[in-house]
Amino acid sequence: MALLEGRNLRKTYKLGRKNEVQALRGVAVSIEAGELVALMGPSGSGKSTLMHLLGLLHSPDQNHGPAPELSFGGRDATRMSDGERTRIRAHEMGFVFQQFNLVPTLTAVENVMLAGEYAGLSRREARERAIARLNMVGLAERATHRPSELSGGEQQRVAIARALVNDPALVLADEPTGNLDSRRSAELLGLIRKLNREHGQTFVLVTHDAEVGVACDRIIRMRDGLVRAVELVNDPTPGDVGEAAA
Amino acid sequence: MSLLRNLARRRLRTALTITGITIGIWALVVFGSMANKISSIVAIGSDYYAGKIVVTDKSGGLSGDSPMAIALVDDIAAIDGVAAAVPGVSTLLDPESQDGISMPDMIVGDLPGADQGHRKHPVQVAQGRALAADDAAAHVAVLGSDLARKFGKGVGDTLEIRGMTFEVVGILEPTLTAPDATALVPLAAAQEMFLQDLPPVVRQNVRADQLATDITVYPAEGTDVEALATRIEATVPNASAMTAAEFDKVVGSSVAIFNAIIVGVALISLIVGGLSVINTMAMTVAERTREIGIKRAIGGSRARVIRELVGEAGLIGLLGGLLGLGLGSVVVYLANEAGRSSGTILFQLTPQTAIFAVLFSTILGVVAGIIPAWNAARLDPVAALRYE
Repeated sequence: MALLEGRNLRKTYKLGRKNEVQALRGVAVSIEAGELVALMGPSGSGKSTLMHLLGLLHSPDQNHGPAPELSFGGRDATRMSDGERTRIRAHEMGFVFQQFNLVPTLTAVENVMLAGEYAGLSRREARERAIARLNMVGLAERATHRPSELSGGEQQRVAIARALVNDPALVLADEPTGNLDSRRSAELLGLIRKLNREHGQTFVLVTHDAEVGVACDRIIRMRDGLVRAVELVNDPTPGDVGEAAA
Repeated sequence: MSLLRNLARRRLRTALTITGITIGIWALVVFGSMANKISSIVAIGSDYYAGKIVVTDKSGGLSGDSPMAIALVDDIAAIDGVAAAVPGVSTLLDPESQDGISMPDMIVGDLPGADQGHRKHPVQVAQGRALAADDAAAHVAVLGSDLARKFGKGVGDTLEIRGMTFEVVGILEPTLTAPDATALVPLAAAQEMFLQDLPPVVRQNVRADQLATDITVYPAEGTDVEALATRIEATVPNASAMTAAEFDKVVGSSVAIFNAIIVGVALISLIVGGLSVINTMAMTVAERTREIGIKRAIGGSRARVIRELVGEAGLIGLLGGLLGLGLGSVVVYLANEAGRSSGTILFQLTPQTAIFAVLFSTILGVVAGIIPAWNAARLDPVAALRYE
């Protein structure tokens, strides 16, 4: 069974009284547990919006078309309360957002601990794990620095450590290599690959970067709010692949 | 820890908000202490009048020291329902002093034993002894606590009052009210001093032992006190009979006005302090929209966001309350110390007032923080993340 399964996913944002943006116009997507998927497309193609829906941050629109379906680990996500979706985000998902989304008053290690505490870890446990994850991304010696004292790349790696702190089944990352130089970028891809292969963690990476795309199992290409193509780069889990819907 | 760090982020704004609350709580503490003092004076007054009737000459008023003929004691004692009638003399310790604000130092002449055991709530003696029946002709005095301190006298010392020398035989427990500034002496001595005060025309026609300024009446068991007071006023010409109920009525209305002022101060500090906390927290939420979005996105629950912000608001209230209480106690202490020598003790800061003030401002902060926190918790995490 797919880890994430969505059908008829639509999302319209109202920008003004008459100005609406149809960010997603009916998308079907299926992501298997243990897959490493790239979500690619030009700006405004709806890839970030799709990531927000898959990450249970937003609910798909119910009106103007067939009823949307969205399940995570076999659970119907369209009927979940805010509290349930929050709990799933805390315990089973990890997020890396565009730009450096760290809490400015907290140190690097405290930022990573925060996600652990949201998932119910004690402070001590959260701290131990946070230090281990910072070590993993090569930032252990910067643990007590505030975000303002870290470079863009360092902040990005703190965000990645935070996404990994609870060993989530699914990691959703928006431009994870966006602020990294090519060496750091390659290192990070290596780490993601390793976690994906060794721990079976599922990754969905929203990216512009073709190099990131080719490092994945599969690329879902989007344009104008629709999935235009699904490319198999290499296929570790043969069988069901996501289908494009128009 | 992170609450304090968040408050420290906008030091000036937080400091200003805390200052606002501090001023409100300061006012609450100072006015509250003044109200405490007044109600404790009133309570002692109520106790003093409880179960007895104080008869004075109509022209004298509440603290009146108009002369009455001591012969009236027998007239009153003969009235139906009177168990005992005791003459007393109250007069200013120093007739020259007129500061007008505070309780003046008083001499009270008493006839120990004449109440036949009816007197309740006597002020306890801290050192030495109380006046006794066989002191009647002696020049002995029991001093109120403030007077003893003012004159620097202890038990066994001698004290000169209006040209008469008294041996101090006892010091009263402090009551924070009138008895602290009172010297209790045997009736005869007080009558002697009171006589000196009277205009020469009157003085030539009376003897000291014919004088009283008040007659305390103890009603017999089961007598209606109010009805007895009416009977006394009807029987004794020019008499004013004061009962506990009447005292409460007269004094109660001025206390009520004062309490209304306290409630007003509390309300103003509630509104001003509350609005400034709401404002501060609303700005905080606006500034931290992005941060709140991050926290919600990575799994922070709404309740957690609310807890954090309400905690911050409560901390602002608590700090304002503690500072206000601290400042208020300093003012109360300094004002009381400055007034002690002249007997002007205006404030009484009770533990209840202190606890109420701090609790009040903390709850105020929490309540004011709820609306902004609730708004923050309802933010769409994705929109909040994109917020610039």
